[in-house]
Amino acid sequence: MSTHITVDPITRIEGHLRIDVEVDGGVVKKAWSSGQMFRGIERILIGRDPREAWLFTQRFCGVCTTVHAITSVRAVENALNLEIPPNAQYIRNLIVAAHAMHDHIVHFYQLSALDWVDVVSALKADVVKTAALATSLSDWPGNSIKEFQAVKDRLAGFVAKGQLGIFTNGYWGHPAMKLPPEVNLLAVTHYLQALDYQRRVNKVVSILGGKTPNIQNLAVGGVANAINLDNDATLNMAKLYEVKELLDSAKQFIEQVYFVDLCAVGALYADWLKYGAGVTNYLAVPDLPTDTKGTQFDLPGGTIFNGDLAKVTKITSFGDPYFQKNVSESIAHSWYDGDWQRHPYEEDTVPKYTSYDPNKDYSWIKSPRFDGHPMQVGPLAQVLVGFAGGHELTVKWAKKTLETAGKIAGATLTPAILHGTLGRHAARMIRCGVISDLADKHWNLLAENIGKGDTRIFNQPVFPKGEIQGFGFHEAPRGTLSHWVVIENGKIKNYQAVVPSTWNAGPRDAKDQPGPYEASLVGNPIADTDKPLEVLRTVHSFDPCIACAIHTLDVEGKELSRVRAL
Amino acid sequence: MIYVLGLGNVLMGDDGFGPAVVRQFEKTYDVPENVEVVDVGTPGLDLMPWFYDAERLIIVDTVKADAAPGTMRLYDKRDLLRHAPSVRTSPHDPGVKEALWTLELAGRGPKEVTLIGVVPESVELTTDLSDTVREKIPVAMEAIARALGQA
Repeated sequence: MSTHITVDPITRIEGHLRIDVEVDGGVVKKAWSSGQMFRGIERILIGRDPREAWLFTQRFCGVCTTVHAITSVRAVENALNLEIPPNAQYIRNLIVAAHAMHDHIVHFYQLSALDWVDVVSALKADVVKTAALATSLSDWPGNSIKEFQAVKDRLAGFVAKGQLGIFTNGYWGHPAMKLPPEVNLLAVTHYLQALDYQRRVNKVVSILGGKTPNIQNLAVGGVANAINLDNDATLNMAKLYEVKELLDSAKQFIEQVYFVDLCAVGALYADWLKYGAGVTNYLAVPDLPTDTKGTQFDLPGGTIFNGDLAKVTKITSFGDPYFQKNVSESIAHSWYDGDWQRHPYEEDTVPKYTSYDPNKDYSWIKSPRFDGHPMQVGPLAQVLVGFAGGHELTVKWAKKTLETAGKIAGATLTPAILHGTLGRHAARMIRCGVISDLADKHWNLLAENIGKGDTRIFNQPVFPKGEIQGFGFHEAPRGTLSHWVVIENGKIKNYQAVVPSTWNAGPRDAKDQPGPYEASLVGNPIADTDKPLEVLRTVHSFDPCIACAIHTLDVEGKELSRVRAL
Repeated sequence: MIYVLGLGNVLMGDDGFGPAVVRQFEKTYDVPENVEVVDVGTPGLDLMPWFYDAERLIIVDTVKADAAPGTMRLYDKRDLLRHAPSVRTSPHDPGVKEALWTLELAGRGPKEVTLIGVVPESVELTTDLSDTVREKIPVAMEAIARALGQA
């Protein structure tokens, strides 16, 4: 007999996601992914000045602010066929790179590690053995007996006061938790150390972006970072070197901690390599442009279908018609008026809520399709496209990861094992490593270009009479993000954002093809139907972020806390 | 550093109260050098970089409470940490509590926290606050000034 489990909401993500699974014989047979919040936020842009759109789009989501800002200016520049100066490109790239590193570190440690790491088990760890294990894997200076003892003591204090609940759903002691106590203590210690390093790399975004979240330095046509090496108020040598130092320290953390932890935890959970592949069509867009037009890139983009790594179709420019023509969205199972599959320029967003019915409509999320196919987006898509296409840095980091994890697991690991739940985590780390190398490169490109005396940062946009349209894309931490804008007489006529978590979390389409979340859950084991930890593992591996909306703080909870009226 | 953070989504009506208050506060008051006033939006766990090395935090936000729209409430760190063992069950939770608790475990984070909250009237897609909530901006600014005076 089958059991139906509803997980609502999925915790440790941004936004409200509901997952339903049908379990039979301890295995997921069917799954449904439902976005529980209406996301029609683009409507606020209609009639506005396209030069200001990015200021609004970065408020779509409180976590993914930078990515919506970057994509919006790219969309308007594409509509105008406007190039931007090299400095503007490099400054944007450094922001993109720093934001991605921050996001990937936070995801691995703060948002998903505790699906695999049993915090309470860490209390049983022998600190001397933990330190010995840690130093055998890495030269990281934070792996001392003293450090592990301090974390263990603090943990013991929290557990004694019953305060650990916020870190998981209380899934410690779950039969699917397999790590030895020493590895758990190692991971918890790095979880806490990661707080410092994600903060450091985030500071790069605030130095170059003026502020984070919600950067202030963008403009359609370039950036607003005045460059004068001798002026304290502008981008100068001191600020550039501060950026470099912060990037270098994050790189050290990525190489000596994140990389090692990923390989070790992944290897010790090698039995999970067979779960969670789901949709093996992949889409990634190229990013970190190195020219002013957006025709040459340091991060690869393209498509792969049916997991066939021998066949990649590359996406090669900001205006690539292969991307432009093939994106559409379906609302067959979504709570919107109509029953269409349309190109983003032609879409509207008219809500029509009925009820939750998995056979009819069951989500606020639309279903994006590429040439009619569901696609998985995210670091795994980019890493596979890069690996299959021979992208040098991706090949370097992927090989290093597979070799190191393989050595710990005592197995030979090939890129084919990346299709799945653990593969998404591995790919995120691989991408983070690639980007840490590229951040270094783009810092040098910027410094050299300024050194040559080039201080240009902006090309003036001019809006023609009549209607124009454009699209911008960005390979965000969660995957391919695109904005589509129609401009009439200098004002926005239509605006659509097709976001990464929509590609992954969308419901079935008119042909009943499931989206990546839904497909990836099928076949997952469920050890305990009251605690479906395995569902969280697979869903979290996509790094879901479907907030894009509102919040109101609930301090008082169920019982009234101590409050004072003003 | 002392941080005054305005939380909320400026595109969602009264949810933009926090950002509106801190922007107005910056224009109206002389802000001391050791105080940084920031509209942070709705960053969820990305609040942690702000909390990490803060000596003291003053947060302005909308709050869910069993009270009329426009009602203002003041909370301290103990109130915020009180319901710690609950998980993040609401999408409307911006991560203040999780960020504070995580940093407690790391042995970091602010010693003192003041949360100045207003109960929203309307949280809909608009960049305007409702009249009921807009009228509370001066009250919230005075509360920030008072909290800074106590620092």
